[in-house]
Amino acid sequence: MNTFAASAHSLLDSQLDQSRREVFADFETLGLPSTSDEVWRYAPLSDFDLENFDLTLPLVTGELAPFALALRSRAGVTIHLQNGVLISVEGSAPGLHVTTATSTARENSARYGADAFALLNCALTPNTIVISVDANSQIADPVVILNTTTGGGSFPQLRVELGTSSACSIVEYLDGGVDALVVPLSEFHVGNNASLQMTTYQRLAASAWHVARSTAFLHRDSRLRQSVISIGGHYNRSRNDAEIVGTGAQNELRTTFLGAGDQIHDFRTRQYHLIGRSNSTLLSKGAVADRARCVYTGVIEIEKGAKRTDARQTNHNLLLSPHAHADSVPNLDIRENDVMCAHASSVGPLDELQRWYLESRGVSRHDAERLMIQGFFYEMVATLPSGLAELVEEDIRATLAEVNVVTP
Amino acid sequence: MTSTLRISDLRVEVGGKEVLKGFNLTMSSGEVHVIMGPNGSGKSTLAHALAGHPGYRVTGGSVRLNDVELLDLAPTERARQGLILALQHPMEVQGVRPYDVMVAAGAPPEGLRERMADEARQVELRPELLERFMNVDLSGGERKRAEMVQLGTLRPPFAMLDEIDSGLDVDALGAVARRLQAATTEWACGVLVITHFSRLLQELTPTMIHVVSEGRVVATGGPEMAEILERDGYEPFRVTF
Repeated sequence: MNTFAASAHSLLDSQLDQSRREVFADFETLGLPSTSDEVWRYAPLSDFDLENFDLTLPLVTGELAPFALALRSRAGVTIHLQNGVLISVEGSAPGLHVTTATSTARENSARYGADAFALLNCALTPNTIVISVDANSQIADPVVILNTTTGGGSFPQLRVELGTSSACSIVEYLDGGVDALVVPLSEFHVGNNASLQMTTYQRLAASAWHVARSTAFLHRDSRLRQSVISIGGHYNRSRNDAEIVGTGAQNELRTTFLGAGDQIHDFRTRQYHLIGRSNSTLLSKGAVADRARCVYTGVIEIEKGAKRTDARQTNHNLLLSPHAHADSVPNLDIRENDVMCAHASSVGPLDELQRWYLESRGVSRHDAERLMIQGFFYEMVATLPSGLAELVEEDIRATLAEVNVVTP
Repeated sequence: MTSTLRISDLRVEVGGKEVLKGFNLTMSSGEVHVIMGPNGSGKSTLAHALAGHPGYRVTGGSVRLNDVELLDLAPTERARQGLILALQHPMEVQGVRPYDVMVAAGAPPEGLRERMADEARQVELRPELLERFMNVDLSGGERKRAEMVQLGTLRPPFAMLDEIDSGLDVDALGAVARRLQAATTEWACGVLVITHFSRLLQELTPTMIHVVSEGRVVATGGPEMAEILERDGYEPFRVTF
């Protein structure tokens, strides 16, 4: 097996795009973050060694997991990725195009100068997958991205472009990733009056490092409904930003996670309103069991002049063990007075009265707790595209059955 | 077989203050007993204490369902023994569906959705509301009716209803009363109703009416008691211990 440095250099040497080498040099200058950086203080970086992640693993042909098969059966178009490499595209829909981009790494990396993992992605991604939807095209069935990681380092890059008044639902599923590093970088460009439903279901192995970042750009009267559900990862970091650049835009983000064992879930959000008469809501809910930890850090940023913006942030964390830990750090950065902003957060065990209410119908304590914990997630799943919610509920139910719940 | 619910000398504290001060009531299956009394007399405390609400501390007395002492049992077991409470303020439980609760509570799954839908129609609740998470986005009156659906589905030997009539419009009130009346024969349900108003009793015939004051039953009578209370109010029954 190659080390990261050796495989990265051999990969870069084979690339015609000189700018990839420049971006990689930027990364080397910046270096990996450390836990003394505030935004990385929760990451177990002392366990992290980039050298463990080979970038030159051969592609493997294998069977799809049952969940991936079930997703595919509901899809209009299925995009298969392995270690970030585009393998195939099945199906088609009028007005929908799946291509790989030719833009240079330098163009892609321009906004990520201070983010070491995003720079790595820009330098090392095998291809930018571009999903574009023509103006006025309504894509009926979901586009499913099946993104499997077989090991080593994986740097998938996704760019979604919705034309004016178009609509599309995309479901991204990540699995595999034993002892791997998976660093997805995504951008969603939602055109005027367009509507995107973007769902990410992260189901990587419990030994994976997952450092994901997405940025949405919402134009006039556009709508983005984004759901990020995370189950896997030794360290799961998910940063989801929305930049609202058009009036009338509506952004909804729901992030949810389940942590067990020694997992760390690290969620970061930014709702950035550059223009008024727009709204964004964030609901982040997660549960941690065993010795798992989670942190939610989110900021609502409203520029001067972005009048009549309505932005909300809610974070609820459920502690399923006395040794689990949750931190919640909501922030507001508001430079305009004529706005509506709210944030709320809570950390605690299951609600005792709700549990009693179920018990008083004859439900056992064990079943009442299971129902409530499932319910904690079902609420988050309820907004997924139809057909998908039941599938994810079923998967979550099976996962929860293996989680040890210790209530006070 | 006739079952008996016997509440004897029940004493309950809430927040360190004694609210029930030796409450007695005995009823049999198929009967309708009504507890009426002014605000603060201990009616809701009785309901919550019987259902094992964690905020209510029983300091003395006994509640026996046939030969079983309910006060020794956890809330789940009390319900399974046959005493289920319909709450005055049914709680929202996000993400939890009534159907799944009914299954977990022991309702036979076969035909369960149809039975629940049928119960909903009997109390004039749109069955599709049962697909929502428990009590989430339901109005006060819809929540009461959803509680009735649970009772009708689980068919407990004894049903206790804490102000089921508050928040219901006249039509829904009639439907709920008729459903309870029918339950007394369908499965010989013993119905223990806590209410402020006699309106519910126009279509639900009480076996006994108990007037509560200061945490005790101070008067008991037949259906005529409702008219007396309607006419004279609770004041003549006010007792200070």
